[in-house]
Amino acid sequence: MSASVERGADLTTPLASRRLARLRRFDLVGLAVTLITLAAAVLWAFPLYWGLVTTFKPEYEIVRPGVQLWPEHFTLENYLHVLLQTKIGLWYVNSLITSGAVTIIVVMMSAGAGYAISQLDFPGRRFFWWMILASFMVPVSALIVNHFILMSQFRLINTLAGVVGPQLVYGPVTVIIYKQFFDSVPKDFREAAVMDGSSELQLLFRIYLPMNWGVTTALAIITFIGAWNQFLWPFLAISSEDKMNITVGITQVHDAFGVSYGRDLAVAMLAAMPVAVIYLIFQRRVTQAIMLSAGIKG
Amino acid sequence: MAAKNGEAAAPHVELRRVTKRYGPVTAISDLSLAVDKGSFTALLGPSGCGKSTLLRMIAGLEPITAGQCFIDNLDVTDVPPAQRRIAMVFQSYALYPHMTVRQNIAFSLSVAGQPRKVQNERAQEVARILQLEPYLDRRPAELSGGQRQRVAIGRALVRKPEVFLFDEPLSNLDAKLRVQMRLELAKLHADLGTTMIYVTHDQTEAMTLADKIVVLDKGVISQVGSPLELYNAPANKFVAAFIGSPSMNFFPVDIAAINGRTASVVLPGGRTVEIDIATGAGARSAELGVRPEHLTVVDPKDPAATFAGAVAIIEHLGNSTILYVETAVGQLIVEGEGDLDAKSGQTVGLRLNQSHARLFGATGATL
Repeated sequence: MSASVERGADLTTPLASRRLARLRRFDLVGLAVTLITLAAAVLWAFPLYWGLVTTFKPEYEIVRPGVQLWPEHFTLENYLHVLLQTKIGLWYVNSLITSGAVTIIVVMMSAGAGYAISQLDFPGRRFFWWMILASFMVPVSALIVNHFILMSQFRLINTLAGVVGPQLVYGPVTVIIYKQFFDSVPKDFREAAVMDGSSELQLLFRIYLPMNWGVTTALAIITFIGAWNQFLWPFLAISSEDKMNITVGITQVHDAFGVSYGRDLAVAMLAAMPVAVIYLIFQRRVTQAIMLSAGIKG
Repeated sequence: MAAKNGEAAAPHVELRRVTKRYGPVTAISDLSLAVDKGSFTALLGPSGCGKSTLLRMIAGLEPITAGQCFIDNLDVTDVPPAQRRIAMVFQSYALYPHMTVRQNIAFSLSVAGQPRKVQNERAQEVARILQLEPYLDRRPAELSGGQRQRVAIGRALVRKPEVFLFDEPLSNLDAKLRVQMRLELAKLHADLGTTMIYVTHDQTEAMTLADKIVVLDKGVISQVGSPLELYNAPANKFVAAFIGSPSMNFFPVDIAAINGRTASVVLPGGRTVEIDIATGAGARSAELGVRPEHLTVVDPKDPAATFAGAVAIIEHLGNSTILYVETAVGQLIVEGEGDLDAKSGQTVGLRLNQSHARLFGATGATL
């Protein structure tokens, strides 16, 4: 018996050391991965840092050759110019109105469409579902000309409504996500509510949507961020400075001497700020939403 | 079906020649059933027998392929569920997780556009009946299984329905709570006197709660009767086997002669016993069914011993003892007194209480 114990001890020692060695090897791999991701993070964040630092430099420092990681003469002139000499306040309001409208309408429409496709039995349901899936395959930029012609026929070019309109069809993914979530609501909830006398609208607004608030907030946030960041369509649809979005407004910040990098970057920073703030506040929800749209249920 | 002698005897809920098909599969086949006003009727059967489908058809959640459904003499076959004046308690309870107990209970009133004051009053009243008052502002996730069950009942109760439908409401509870809730349901039925239809696969629930049990097998009614009728006079082998725990013993026998209402049955081993029958003229062979409590353990050498065999397994339940005895006719289950002195492997004799034995013919029907 003692022999077997000894043999057991002999066996455990190499096993333990093997495990230790494996742990060490993992540690090395972990370290390497950490270093690579850190390098990638620096590489990714550097342009942001560079842009931010540039906004605090006077123009002559910006255009000077060489790399200057910190401003020699710290200035707020670029921000003051953008805030006081341009229509940035109006652009913010326009962005807020159009992005807000896009978010509300897209979320409501998607919830309704998702509910109908998931829960209602009507002729053509599968056809609609395939249409929505197929619309995924069409790149939005390929529709820009059609959108322009359509909006001009509606006489909506150069109006905020014209900015909002085509963006409502940008996101079939929200319909798909809602459908998936509504599909996963147990049938008993629906039947209990039907027995209680709920109409389909009551079912949607009192049962299905409140039971999926998390999805709605997540989808609303990414839709808002997406709409806020839109450039191509608002740029084409709007020509008067008073109706521009903040993203399009950036193109208007120049003076008689041509491009001013400091001011351009300052307005870009100000344009990105609300999105960055929203992201920081709702970080988890945004991650969840991105996972949802990638097909991974959070 | 209950006889119709004028209005007073008219059934409260009635299904007339109802059929339900899912594509090529027939779940319910030409079924007729009458449920009396104020009765507690249990739909009992194994899974897949169509009992839940039947309940859902009464509720209006499942369209009826052929036949009619009447509630209070009104044809409700095509009436939407909410207008049938019935309420249903689901197996999963289906409590809305985002609403408080109060909102859950008052949901149907709120959907119907009742003023907030009325909703609160009614919710309060129902909560008092079900002892849910301290939990009115909690959400379902903060409640225990039994409390959730009560909220589900409360949600049905608040609508003051004509008929309550229960779809296996106790199956998600642990054994102890199930017994307690069973009592509460019985009390609720006694207090309200409302017609209740209760689906279960648990014969104990059906036997203890219902005053009428409908046993279903493969979409057809096997037997309708009171719990004791089903237990003592099963219409066929299926009912005999399904009702009673431990279940009835069956073994094949030869019929030597039939004299009026008595059959002389030759047991394996040659002994002849007399069994009461109702029909069955001309039958040569049959299956004999004996309930475990109708077999008595005796000395193997006792001349009254019908069978002899070795005890394979013994289960002491305190108030009774269950023996599994290997005999010449196969394994027989025997229920004896709690203090029965027997050991595993011991040879015992079994005396048959022949007045309680039943004969089943080739089709399974009771002779």
